[in-house]
Formats: sequence, C-alpha cells, structure tokens
Amino acid sequence: MYQAIRNIHLLLASFSLPFLVMYGVSAVQMSHNTWSTMKPAVQERDFPMQGGQSDARAVARDVMDKEPSIKGEITNVQMTAAGISLRIVVPGTVHEVKYDSKSGNAHVRTSVAGVMGMLNRLHHWAGFYHEPAPMKLWAAAVAIVSAAVLLLGASGLYMWFTRRPERRIGLALLMLNVGFAVTIMLMLRRQGP
Amino acid sequence: MRNLIIKLHIYAGLLTFTQLMIFGFAGLAATVQTAAERPKNPHTIRHQSFTPPPGASDKEVADLVYRELKMPLTRPMPNFAIKRNADKNLQLDFYNINGIYRVIVLERDRILSIEEIRNSLAIFLEDMHAITTGDPEAPRPLRIWAYYNEFAMWCLLAFVVSGIYLWLSAQARTWWAWGSLAAGVIGFGALWMGFR
Repeated sequence: MYQAIRNIHLLLASFSLPFLVMYGVSAVQMSHNTWSTMKPAVQERDFPMQGGQSDARAVARDVMDKEPSIKGEITNVQMTAAGISLRIVVPGTVHEVKYDSKSGNAHVRTSVAGVMGMLNRLHHWAGFYHEPAPMKLWAAAVAIVSAAVLLLGASGLYMWFTRRPERRIGLALLMLNVGFAVTIMLMLRRQGP
Repeated sequence: MRNLIIKLHIYAGLLTFTQLMIFGFAGLAATVQTAAERPKNPHTIRHQSFTPPPGASDKEVADLVYRELKMPLTRPMPNFAIKRNADKNLQLDFYNINGIYRVIVLERDRILSIEEIRNSLAIFLEDMHAITTGDPEAPRPLRIWAYYNEFAMWCLLAFVVSGIYLWLSAQARTWWAWGSLAAGVIGFGALWMGFR
C-alpha cells in the first residue's frame, strides 16, 4: 500500500512540476511586484476596413483575417462615439482594437508580456468558458493540476502517518496549521455581508 | 542528508497543509466558474435614511456613508471606484473578503439602499488563496493570513526542489516518473508556445 501511494505521489508531482513552478514563481512576482519588470512590448498598427460596421464580432473577425497573428478571445466590447472598441486576448497578449465606423480604420495596439507577465497571466487563466480550443486545453490542465495538488496533500498525509519517528512533531505542526487556518477563516467568514 | 530533506519536506508540508489544500481548491473553483464575471445577487436589501450634506462631492458622500455604516473588513472608497448607476444614482461598492456591500444613495428619497452580496464558499477560498503581503493597509486578520500564504508560497517552491532531490536520490528510480515529467513539461511548453 505504502509503495503504491508513494508512486502516485511521485507520478502526480512529476507531471505537475512545470505548472507548480509557474504558480510558485508567479505568486512570488505578485507578492513582490517590485522585484521584476512587467513592462510589455507594445506595437501599434492600422488596418483599413469596410466602414459603417456595427457588429463587434464582425470587426474582430476582419482584423484577424487581415493579420493572422492576431488571434484569441473577444472581450471588453464597447460601443463608442467613434465606433467600436474591443480586445482580442490570449494569455500574455492583448490586442486593443479601436474601430472607427466613419473611416473604416481599425487601430490595433498589441501588448505582449515578457516571461514574468506571461507567468502572471497563466496563473490567472482558468475555466472552460473561454472559447478558443487552446484555452480549453489550458483549463483542463489547470483542473488536473489542482486535483493533483489535493491528492498530493492526501497522499503526503498518508505517507507521513506511516513514519513513526515523525508522527508526534508532525501532528503538532498539522494541528497548529489547521487550528490557525480554521480560526482565521471562521473569524473572517462570520463577518458580513 | 537525504533523511534531513525528507523531514523538512514532511514538516513543511504539514505546517502549510491547509494553505496547499486551498491552493488546489481555488484552482478547481476557478475551473468550474462559468463566466469571468462573478455572480452579484444580493441576499438582503435594506434601507436606511440618509441626507447627504448639500454641496458635498461624491467622494465626501462616499466617505460619510463609509463612516456611518461601519461595514466590517471594508475600507474607504477610492476615487476611481466611485460611479453612478444607470439611474444616475451614486453607487458605492464596498468590497470585502466575503462579498460586496452595494450602497446606492437615493438622494431624492433621502435614503440609502444597501444590498448585501455574499460570495459562495468557493469564491471565498479562491480569494483567500490570493491574499498577498503586498497590501499593508488590509485589515489585520487578512494581513496575518497573507504572511502565512507567503510562507506557503515559498514552501511550494521548496517542495519542488526538495521533491526533485528526493526522487533523484531514491534507490528505485522509475521510467514512468520520467515519462510523467516529460508529459507535464511537453504539455506546458506546447500550451505556452500556442499562446505566444
């Protein structure tokens, strides 16, 4: 039994390793945001398109047809006095599109995050509601790794408990942690709203 | 050496057990979210009489509302968050870890409409996992939690290093663990490249 649980622990940890590094490093970046630079590389372009369009998705599709490197999920759609503004987003890259319905010009401002920015974006990216297929695959990976973290904890608990020399100190540390965490969470959760 | 690293790996794991479980749970909670926007359905709406001082700015009214309602774990409303709703009434969303106190100032009726929007337990845990030490003005219980989160964050990185050491220094090294690592690295790398 111990051997099987140890193998599961190793299997989950080895698969999750790059994701855990990503989560750990990006958590350090968020907690200490002065330690690294997050300035994205910015590029601005103009695309002549048909004027008078009022459908944001059609505008986004036209932009993506004209420049195949522009791809992603359409977000932040707003009707403006001049026309339409929207964003085409993938983790780490944001294309801000400002479409002028009178002239038909689409001005695109592309911001590409560096490595730390990309790690930050990936840390926040989850959920199957995102449309593009790579994002759904990423959501599946996040779900697998999240479940793996829970199973790593459970299998780690089991393996610790089978080791008699570490049982007493370990139990004290575990009780300290659970007691502290439950107390703080109950204190917070009892407050409104 | 190996025995010492095993002990540290185990003890640090037990000392941060709840945080690590919350990290995992937060990932699952984010996975099942159906939209970027969180649900904002009030569970309670109450009213309270309130007369804003004549000539007061929106910020001054927001500060007065904050002082008068004394909502737990909230902070004064920053300028950028002050807005007016579709009916042109001043809408003040006071956020805390449990949800939102949405206060609408109905000046003509001289009342405050106070909507209490409570986050689900899943969203609460998601937010608990995201508390960092970078907010020195947060209420004290949140700051204490932030330090524990910080400790757990460093421990997570230490588990990666110590885990690799324990694996590679073990007598029985298995091919499938290398395969699993390769699957993780290739999967992560492919998705990274796909997004770039």
